This record gives sequence, C-alpha cells and structure tokens, in this order.
Amino acid sequence: MRRDLNLKIWVYTIAIILIGLVALYSATTGNVRVSRGIFYDQLFCAAVGIFIMYVVGRIDYRKFFDGAYILYAINILLLILVLVSGRDALGARRWLTIGGISFQPSELTKLSLVLFLGRYFATQRSVLTFGFMNKTQLILRDLFFPLFLTGISMFLIFKQPDLGTALLMFGIFFGMLFASGLEYRYIIGFSLACLSVVPFAWNILKDYQKDRLLVFLNPNIDPLGAGYTIIQSKTAVGSGQFWGKGWLSGTQNQLNFLPERHTDFIFSVIGEEWGLIGTMVLVYCYFSLIRYCLLVSEQVKDKFGMLVCIGIVSILTLQVIINIGMVIGLFPIVGLTLPLVSYGRSSFLIFIIMMGFLLNLSKRRTIF
Amino acid sequence: MRIKIIRIIIFILFAAIVVNLFYVQIIQGPYFFRISKNNRIRVVALEGLRGRIKDRHGRILADNKVSYNVMITPQDILDKDKLFSFLSEILEMEVEKLVRTYNQKKFTPFTPVAVVEDIQWSQAVNIEENKYRFPSVFIQKGFKRIYPLEDNSAHVLGYTGKINRSQKRRLKEYGFSYQSIIGKTGVEEYYDSYLKGDQGGIQIEVNSRGEQVRLLSLKEPKKGQDITLTIDSEINETAQALLRGKKGAIIMMDITTGEVLAMASSPAYDPNIFVNREKRRKSAYIFKNPNSPFLNRAITGLFPPGSVFKVPVAICGLDSKAIKPQTSFDCKGYYELAGIRFGCTHVHGSQNLAESLIHSCNVYYYHLGKMLGSEKISQYAHLLGLGKQTHIDLPFESTGRVPSQKEGLLSANRRWYTGDTLNLSIGQGDVLTTPIQLVKMMATVVSEGIEVQPHVIKEIGGITTQKFDFERQLMIDKSVFRIIKKALVATVTDYSGTAHVLDIDGLYIAGKTGTAQSSPDKEHHAWFVGYLITGQKKLAFCIFLEHGGSSQNACILGREFLLTLQKNKKI
Repeated sequence: MRRDLNLKIWVYTIAIILIGLVALYSATTGNVRVSRGIFYDQLFCAAVGIFIMYVVGRIDYRKFFDGAYILYAINILLLILVLVSGRDALGARRWLTIGGISFQPSELTKLSLVLFLGRYFATQRSVLTFGFMNKTQLILRDLFFPLFLTGISMFLIFKQPDLGTALLMFGIFFGMLFASGLEYRYIIGFSLACLSVVPFAWNILKDYQKDRLLVFLNPNIDPLGAGYTIIQSKTAVGSGQFWGKGWLSGTQNQLNFLPERHTDFIFSVIGEEWGLIGTMVLVYCYFSLIRYCLLVSEQVKDKFGMLVCIGIVSILTLQVIINIGMVIGLFPIVGLTLPLVSYGRSSFLIFIIMMGFLLNLSKRRTIF
Repeated sequence: MRIKIIRIIIFILFAAIVVNLFYVQIIQGPYFFRISKNNRIRVVALEGLRGRIKDRHGRILADNKVSYNVMITPQDILDKDKLFSFLSEILEMEVEKLVRTYNQKKFTPFTPVAVVEDIQWSQAVNIEENKYRFPSVFIQKGFKRIYPLEDNSAHVLGYTGKINRSQKRRLKEYGFSYQSIIGKTGVEEYYDSYLKGDQGGIQIEVNSRGEQVRLLSLKEPKKGQDITLTIDSEINETAQALLRGKKGAIIMMDITTGEVLAMASSPAYDPNIFVNREKRRKSAYIFKNPNSPFLNRAITGLFPPGSVFKVPVAICGLDSKAIKPQTSFDCKGYYELAGIRFGCTHVHGSQNLAESLIHSCNVYYYHLGKMLGSEKISQYAHLLGLGKQTHIDLPFESTGRVPSQKEGLLSANRRWYTGDTLNLSIGQGDVLTTPIQLVKMMATVVSEGIEVQPHVIKEIGGITTQKFDFERQLMIDKSVFRIIKKALVATVTDYSGTAHVLDIDGLYIAGKTGTAQSSPDKEHHAWFVGYLITGQKKLAFCIFLEHGGSSQNACILGREFLLTLQKNKKI
C-alpha cells in the first residue's frame, strides 16, 4: 500500500511533465520569438528535477521542520532585495540574479510559506492553554499573527507587481488555516471580514490590473490588449473540439496568435492540438495527484506533515483551476503558471520539490 | 473531517472546469473551429483623435487633418510582386522602398502593416477601386497633426511623434502602445495626458476577399481634450518675425496673473516636419544645425544676465539697509582691487542709487557688492527667483545658478576671491539665468513683492485651470520696490538713460538693459528686461539677443516690437 501510493505520485508527476514537454515542443516549433532552446531548457530542467524529487524524497523531513522559520525569513529578505535591485521583465520586477543564476523569489515563497505556516500551526496550536490565555489572545495567536506574517510576503509580492501570486499566498493561508482546526465561527467571521475588504482593495490596484479585471468581465472592452488574449486563447482551446487538430498542427498556436503561449497559456496549445481528450487526460492527472496528496495528508501521523500536505494541495488546486480558467475565460488573466507544464525554471523546480516532499511524507506516514 | 470538506470543494472545482472545457470544446467547438480555420479575425487599431491647441483668442495652433494610410495584411497577399508593382505605380514610389518598409514593419501574418502613410485622396480612391484584384490592401483613415502657424509657435507647442522605446516602457501602464503618438516637447509633451485620445480598436471577421463580414468587438476611440493657451498668437508672431535671422528670445507675461502672452525663441523650426512625410527628411538638418533651433532659449537657454542683475543687487542693498537711496559712490571709470582694474562703461562721476541704475554704472555696484558680500547677494537673487526654476508648465526648464562663496566652495571646491564678488554684482562671472526667470523677477518688482506663477495654460477641455492662480508675498519692504521702479522708469524716460530709445509716445515703459560678456571671441549678449503699463494691463517683457552685441540692439528691437503692437492695437 505504501509503495503503491508512492509509485502513483511518481507516475502522475512524470505524466504531467511529459504532457508539458510535448506541448512545449509544439509551442516552440516554427516560431521566431519563442525559440526551440526553451524546449531543451525545460527538458534539462525535467531531468534534473526528477533527480531532485528523488533526493528530496529521501531527506529526513524533520530537517524541513527545523529550517522552516529561517527559510521564510530568508525568503522575505530576498523579496525585499527583488524590489530594491531586481531585474525588470515585462513591466514587473520579479527576477533576482545571484551568482549568475536568476530566479523568482516569489516562486520560492510558495514553498517557504507552506513550511512556515505548517510549523507555526503545528506547534502553536495546542488545546491545553491551562487558562493562561483568554479568547482574544488565542485568536491573536492562531489567526492574526500568522495572517500578519503571511501579509508581509503578500505585500512584497503585490508590490512587484504580481497580483496573482499575492492572492495565491492568501489562498494557501486560508487553506492551511482551515485545516489547522480553528473553530468554524472564527473562520466564517474571518471570511466575511475578507469579503468586506474587497471593495477597498480595488483602489490599491494598478490601472492595468484593474483593466485586466474589467476586461475579464467583458472581453469586448479591450479587443487589442488583454481582451484579445482571452478571445484568442478561447478560440484556440475551443477549436480543438473533441479529437484536437493533432500534434504540431494547431493553427492558432503556430500563427503567433497567442502571446505567452509557452508559459501562462500553454494549456491553450494542449487544448487546440489534443482536443477534449488531451485536456481531460491532463485534468485527470492533476486531479489524481491532488487526490493522493489528500490521502497522504489523512494518513500522516503528525500535524506538520498534514498541514504541509494541505498547503501543497491548496497551491496545486488553485494554480490548476485558475490557470485553466484563465485560458478559457473563466478567470481574469493574473499570470499564474500551470504547475509542471508551463515553461519557467523557478516555478518548475518549486513544484518538483513539493512533489518530492509529498513522496517523503507518504513514505513516512506510518513511522510516526 | 475538515479534509473531507476540502476534498469536496476540490471535487466541485474540478467538475466545474471539466464542464466548462466540455462546453467550450464540444458545444462551442464548431464555432471556434470555423473562426480558427479561416483565420479571419483582423484587429484594426483606431487612434483616438488628439485634442486641439488654441491660443487665448481661440485661434487654432495645432489641429488634426485626415490622412490616408495604405495597409497590407500579410496573410491575404496573393501575388507579392504584382501587388508591389501596382502600388509603386499608383504611389510613384520605388518597389524596393515599399518592400523594405513592408519587411521592416511586418509583425504577424494577421496584423496589417502600414506601408505608406499619408497618401493623397485620389491615390486612396484609386487603390480602393482595385481592391478586388488585391484583397490584402486596404486604406485606413488616420489623422495627422498640423500646425497652421508653422514655426511661429514652435517652442511653446512642441511637436508630436511616435513613442520611443524608453517612453514606451515608462508609460505602458497608461495605455500606450508602440504605435502611439506622443507629445515630444512643449505643451504637446507637458499636457500630453490631456491632449491624448484613448486608443480604440475593432476586431472583425473578414471573408476571403478581405471584406468585413462581422464585427466581433469594438472599442470606440476617445477624443482628447482641447487646450487653450494664454499665448496671444499675434503678439507671438510679431516677436518671432522680429527675431527672424537672429538668435534670441522674446517673452511677454501678464504681471498680475502670470499668463505668458508671448514666448518666441529663435532660430525656430517648423513642427510640421515631423508629421509630413516629404518634410521629415529636413528634420535631420535641423538637428545638426549649430544654432540649435530646438533649444527653447526662453526657458532652457542659460545666459549671464549682465547689468539686469543690478536690480536684485540694488534691492538687496536697500532692503538690508546697507545703503540709502541717496548713498553715492564716485565713478572714475574703473574700480581698483589689489592692483587689478575693474572697468566701467564711462566715467560717471558721483552716482546715487537711481542714477547708477539709469546709467548702469558698474563702479557703484562694485562698491555695493563688496559691502554686501556674495552670500547676501545670492540670497536675495534666489528670493527673487533667479537661479531656480520658475516651474512654468513647459518641459525642459533650466535651473541656472547664482554662485556665492559658500556654494562655490561646496559644489566646485573653488576658492572665492573678492574679484568674484565684484563680477557677481554686475551679473557676470558664473551667474546664469534663463530669460523667463528675469521676466518673473521684473514682474515681482512691479507688483511690489507679489510673486506670481508664469504659465501658458488657460483652459483644458473648456474649463479654466485654476492651478496657477496663486500669489506669494516676498518678505521685502514695499518701499524698496517703489524706489527701484522709479529708477527703472527713469532709465527709459531720462535723456541719459541706457534705454532711452524705448521712450515711445503714449506708452508707459520701464526696465533695465544688460550687456553680458560671453566668450572673448564672440559678441556680447544683449538684454532688455522691462515692463509696460497700459490702462488695462501690466505686462513684463524681455528682449534677449544671443551674441547680439550692445544692449542698444535689444532696445531697438524692443522699440520695433512695442511699436508694432501699438499699431495693431495689441497694447
């Protein structure tokens, strides 16, 4: 049974990576602006990634527990560094170059936040307070203090500006808070409070972010900019119909209709060339992976492991749903990648590490 | 338990995605398939009309004219050679040149390329008539900017052009694209956000002949706002005409409001050259011209003010109680300091303050400057707005500088000699000002210490701007200004005054001349900065001639300027 679960995680992870590589090969065919080099780069990342996944699966995971706070602190420093001296790309500061390697600290935050919150909720939350703490103090400790610490990284990522990832951080926080076992009334109260803040949050958005949200509501208001992308990507996915147009013969993709088709919009390539069959297979792979991840979280014996599992589940679910939803016009374009499929080293590596972590937990779930 | 809830939520989310994929790919699939198979979606950008610019009397200074552009959709080309030979025949252009522009601008198979811009109406009709033979070609109606007054208002207006790379990066979030037209200098740049129209566009489905079948979506372009300037184009034209062939600047400003009525800088350029295809070649010559026609001498040019600077020095002396109006110094034609002679124009004899301004006696100011010291002089000069920006609403304004001992040490680490103070007192040495600073200073003197904000904007979109309607009272005694003004009037009215040329019948004119040394091998700069009071208006003005020789030349030009205005009933 243990072996079995482990094997399934391997199988689905690799299946998703392979689907991604096939799609990326097509996206880089006969194209001037997106060169074939990107495909080989991803191929290399995949090979290295599988090795990393194996290694992460073998490390004693208490080491992650010990390093969680430090990692998060370092991550916040890196995020500040990005804002101060980062590299601009596509109108946003997301990249940091250290020792010749450039990466996105906001991607690392996904991992470090999960570990951090996992440790925090796992250690702080104990029912026995021996009467030393009243209700207010408990709420402060279990809800507002972790919210504040999450808020720091959210704010820094929002400043880059990267609204999508910042909101994702909130999703992670909410998922893990829910799993941490906080009483329902507080969770419901907190959710209502968050909803009431939404109208105010509108005002701090940048103009182009507002535009994107408005365009999402009605793509026709900006047929040249963001609305163009939505219409084109929807056309690509829809035109795949049931069987798809076949590998390397997607016309929308080949004829430069789609911007960013190797990163955020890779799903449209899959949808066009492999049709409903292809998209269903991919969605099924993700769904299975998430399902096994939940299975692990149920069986794991310690709270840290369970919470980290839930964190990973939150990220995977949100990114998959939002990315696919964005391509077919269900969500605004917020710039979130499709896990393990979109091109991008930082993103790819972080998800690989998460999968390794999952392996790790699934192996040890009976030991503790 | 909680994990079960999470599992249910995840299941619902995935189910929603599956249902939507099914809907898009199966139910709507055939529709999208048809669109993608024909590849018949065209995106056409519609440029928002730029706001017009008018002068204070409503005369149009910048307008838009319809132009016709030849567009080619790469995907629809049937026979490339035939197409280009056809176009070259109609447009009377070489085939190679057309092909070259086409290849340069080609972006994607479905984005139309503007091969030739601004063709004649007859040519456009001719091309449209042959559209059945060449489905890839169509005529797009666009707009081009025209400046009816040509070089008569160039420096205030500025010009427009395609956005460049750095501007694009900076302004991307404000809705600029690579095709956007943007103001490059002058009012066109400063008020670009108001003038600029919002870009719109259409997405259309076309048939195999390139004709529109269906409108998929439309975003109406929005017109920019019209702008009215405080400039009186007739005064400006008079000024520009007088400066033709010379280098220099003329400014005229309303003293009570700070409205700039005229701002001429010479040599000027014709802003139309950046718009017009035939004239565009000329712009290269202008950029290379050693007399730098693009420099707006009125606000960007930095020049030593010469004797005009005696006005702030005199104000400084009176206000700090170093001298009284009747304090006299003897002028022997020179001033000796450590064996070096600092010269004066004449041997003036005994001079009091008023006489020193009337005759522009240097020796008086050597004495006074030495008494005051450089710190105090530069403090008052700064107070009166010299050596700092006026913050007029035009781009590229220079700051200038009024040096002093402390500042010299701090910034240049240079020793300060008493000789430097003497040079400073007569506006020589390292003092650098812009003409607009001197006009503003003169206005402050006339209104006895009330400082206004020079500006060129009057109305935006029909609404009067009140942004510049404010005044500031300087902490200088009013009686000081009255004494100075009396002397400035006498400079014109007195027979021995340096600006007696300007004593025109029926006009109340006052002011100060200045002859500033520039480089040894070139002529001096000629200045006249003064004011004019009529029944209705108080106007400050400045006549400046770069390397124009003696200040007399500026005065003579000023006389012609004011006489013309008087004749045209402008003042």
